Amino acid sequence: MKVQIDKRHIWLIIILKSFRPVFFLAVGLIFFYLINLPTPDGLTIQGQRAIALFVVCLILWVTGLLPLAITSLLAIVTVPLLGILDKKETYALFGNEAVFFILGAFILAGAAMHSGLSSRIALAIMNRFGNTPAGLLFSIFFLAAVLSFFMSEHAVAAMLFPIVLEIAKGLNLRPGKSNYAKSLFLALAWGCIIGGIATFLGGARVPLAVGMLKEATGINIDFFEYTVMVFPTVLIMLLIGYFWLTRFFPSDIEDIHLAKAVFERRMKEIGKTGYMEYAVGIVMIITILFWLLFGKSLGIANIAIVSVVALFILKLVRWKDIEEYVNWGIILMYGGAITLGASMEKSGAAVWIANAIIGDWTNSPLLVIAIFSLLTILLTEGMSNAAVIAILLPVGIGMASQFNMEPKLITYAIAVPAGLAFCFPMSTPANAIAVSSGYITTKDMAKAGIGMMVLAWIVFNMTARFYWPMIGVKF
Amino acid sequence: MKKTKTYLHNPGYLKVELMLKGIRVDGKVLKKANLDKCRDVANITCGLDIILPHNTWVTVPYADDFVNDSPYELIESEGKFFVRGGTESVNVSVVPTPKFYRLKTTTGISLSKIGIVHGGHVAITPATQCDFFNKEIECRYCAGNPDIKGGKGKTYSVEDVLETVEAAYKEGKAEIVYLSIGFSETPDGGIEFLKPYIKAIKKHFNTLIAVEALPPKENKWIDETYAVGADSVLYNLEIFDSKLFKDICPGRAALIGRERYLNALQYAATIFPNGTVASHLIVGLEPIESTVAGIDFLAGIGVVPILPLYKPSAGAKLSECKMPSTEVIAPVYGYLYRAVTTNKINTSWVRDISVVTTPLEGRFFVDDNARMQTFIQNFYKSKLGLKTAWSLATLRRKLRVKLDHSD
Repeated sequence: MKVQIDKRHIWLIIILKSFRPVFFLAVGLIFFYLINLPTPDGLTIQGQRAIALFVVCLILWVTGLLPLAITSLLAIVTVPLLGILDKKETYALFGNEAVFFILGAFILAGAAMHSGLSSRIALAIMNRFGNTPAGLLFSIFFLAAVLSFFMSEHAVAAMLFPIVLEIAKGLNLRPGKSNYAKSLFLALAWGCIIGGIATFLGGARVPLAVGMLKEATGINIDFFEYTVMVFPTVLIMLLIGYFWLTRFFPSDIEDIHLAKAVFERRMKEIGKTGYMEYAVGIVMIITILFWLLFGKSLGIANIAIVSVVALFILKLVRWKDIEEYVNWGIILMYGGAITLGASMEKSGAAVWIANAIIGDWTNSPLLVIAIFSLLTILLTEGMSNAAVIAILLPVGIGMASQFNMEPKLITYAIAVPAGLAFCFPMSTPANAIAVSSGYITTKDMAKAGIGMMVLAWIVFNMTARFYWPMIGVKF
Repeated sequence: MKKTKTYLHNPGYLKVELMLKGIRVDGKVLKKANLDKCRDVANITCGLDIILPHNTWVTVPYADDFVNDSPYELIESEGKFFVRGGTESVNVSVVPTPKFYRLKTTTGISLSKIGIVHGGHVAITPATQCDFFNKEIECRYCAGNPDIKGGKGKTYSVEDVLETVEAAYKEGKAEIVYLSIGFSETPDGGIEFLKPYIKAIKKHFNTLIAVEALPPKENKWIDETYAVGADSVLYNLEIFDSKLFKDICPGRAALIGRERYLNALQYAATIFPNGTVASHLIVGLEPIESTVAGIDFLAGIGVVPILPLYKPSAGAKLSECKMPSTEVIAPVYGYLYRAVTTNKINTSWVRDISVVTTPLEGRFFVDDNARMQTFIQNFYKSKLGLKTAWSLATLRRKLRVKLDHSD
């Protein structure tokens, strides 16, 4: 721990340190101002209070001055206190299926990582396909994407990072200078990001959005249905991403035999495939098959939790082994976001906002999707993707009902672009991990990422416009 | 009989006189003052603690042979004590020996061996060792406090020190806890060693802590000293003249260097609050002009010069050196007062030190009332003032210290 002494003038320090209490005081004043305004026509008093609370949570989620989970807890306790929903109903929302699905997914991913299965798969694929610079780049990019279909993209990035770092060092690439190193780390980050939107498992944001949709409207989106809707976007973005990487950062090396030595050493370190890896692999495969085939009838959370129980019955993991992989903060955050979303919907606040803000100047469902996906993709570059969903989805669902649109569509329009943050380290942990290597700067990432962001928005909207109708989606 | 000049009516002069010449005391008077024998471990600090007019604290030698020639005598009349010089006398208070000196720690160590009270402060040296002695490069004026004179020394545990501070605190003798360390050849100047003591004292008591250490090799240790809880720091240069510094303090010169002392003090003055960084310059071991130059330099960089009087110690290499006279010394303290006030250095911290004339006491040599500084100092000595000082020091640290956990 390093000590630093702030030598600035003491009054300046006091003023700067006062920012936090002043900020919270201002937030409190805004809240009291909003709940004490005359209730507008068409809005219930509960709706007005829900909007006031929503604004407070919006400010806190965007600024990040409180941990996301704590803002969510604040939302949970405030909803019944303000009489928006009753206590039982509020706390019952926390027991949403999505929350338990996320918990199960964390534990399953934790088991895969703890057993060494995920590392083995990663090394084997990179070793098999990484014979040329382009091949290695391709294998890292697609491996990161494919693994993110099945486990949290953040976990994949964290898992692959030391391997990619070792490769970069093994190849004697110069930090901040080597184009190839930049492309390797961006391949890692972008692979995770693009792959992460493919299924419910890539990030907890999709289950969150689905949970909020279900609480607000009773409509469900199952595992298979979601993947079918999104997969073309994923495939096109993977192709575009690879093309973009190789053009933006043309390779400056030719020989990568030194990287092979890294793989071989790592493979030796982890030894032969053990019972644990086989067993965890089998449980994972069965779980995914059940999600795909029986997700609708059995419920994805039920399948996830049964698989978790199976892991423990088979003694494949111990609680303390997987505890570090379970992000309780995210689970709390999602519970609160679902509660707040439901309170917005049930109090009529979401519809009222949709009418008040967007209702007058747009008249096409595709335009609504374009606007929401644009807002989402812009906001997610600067704030947590889950927070973006928590903020935009209640309004979006309200908007959908105004246009007699299928609320599922607006859920896709927000949940999918929320994961597509390519530009900055603060946008998503995968980007932060890549920049932390020192081989790529924030500036490099932003320069390459802005183009990807624009392309991602276009691809998503093109998919909505041309592909969704082909599979029977009606606007 | 030649009439001896006395300075009974000026507390500043009288303090210097008494420190230099000591005081004669009859055994009966001592008994009436309820005084025990002085602390038996460190004779260099042995003396009567007397409070002169204007709340001027002084530790006066009374057991040494030279006090027989002193023109001053402590007398008692109707329960009041007076310092008499010739035919005149001045009313004083005699500070009784702290009660905790009679107590022992739970491990059986006498508390008087661990902590010694000067005015409202308790001074503690947790490790009784100075490696300058081991290397035979000790400061030439130093006879070696038996507590710290070389060897492996003794280290008091944090618990022993805490018990001592608690006892002193209960008696109101721990407004400031002075923690000091002898020389040890570590790059941190001893702060790593003192850290657990500082933390423990800060954890249990609302008291201020001054650290007397050696300048560390790097400034980051000065940051650490402040961050860990020290409210004041002293790096004692002792001699300002560069040549004499090498001659008199060979260890300090060879292993730390005068430049490092000055740089560390200058840096510390930017980290610690105004008036809390101090350095001793011993008066009498170098020409007065050199001491004055030292005062100018230190005050100019925001450091409080503290000017102890040289007092020959039996056994020291410089034991034959003559003590300076009051007339020689007085202008230096006046100059000190002027230098400190001109440089707007807070004088509230260095107060009530009975073994040294403080900068604010320098006002007695230049006939300045220093009403504002005196008022502020008196406020900080009150219960409310002590709490205010502690609260402000804590708040300042909270505001200024940033801990980077990325390491």
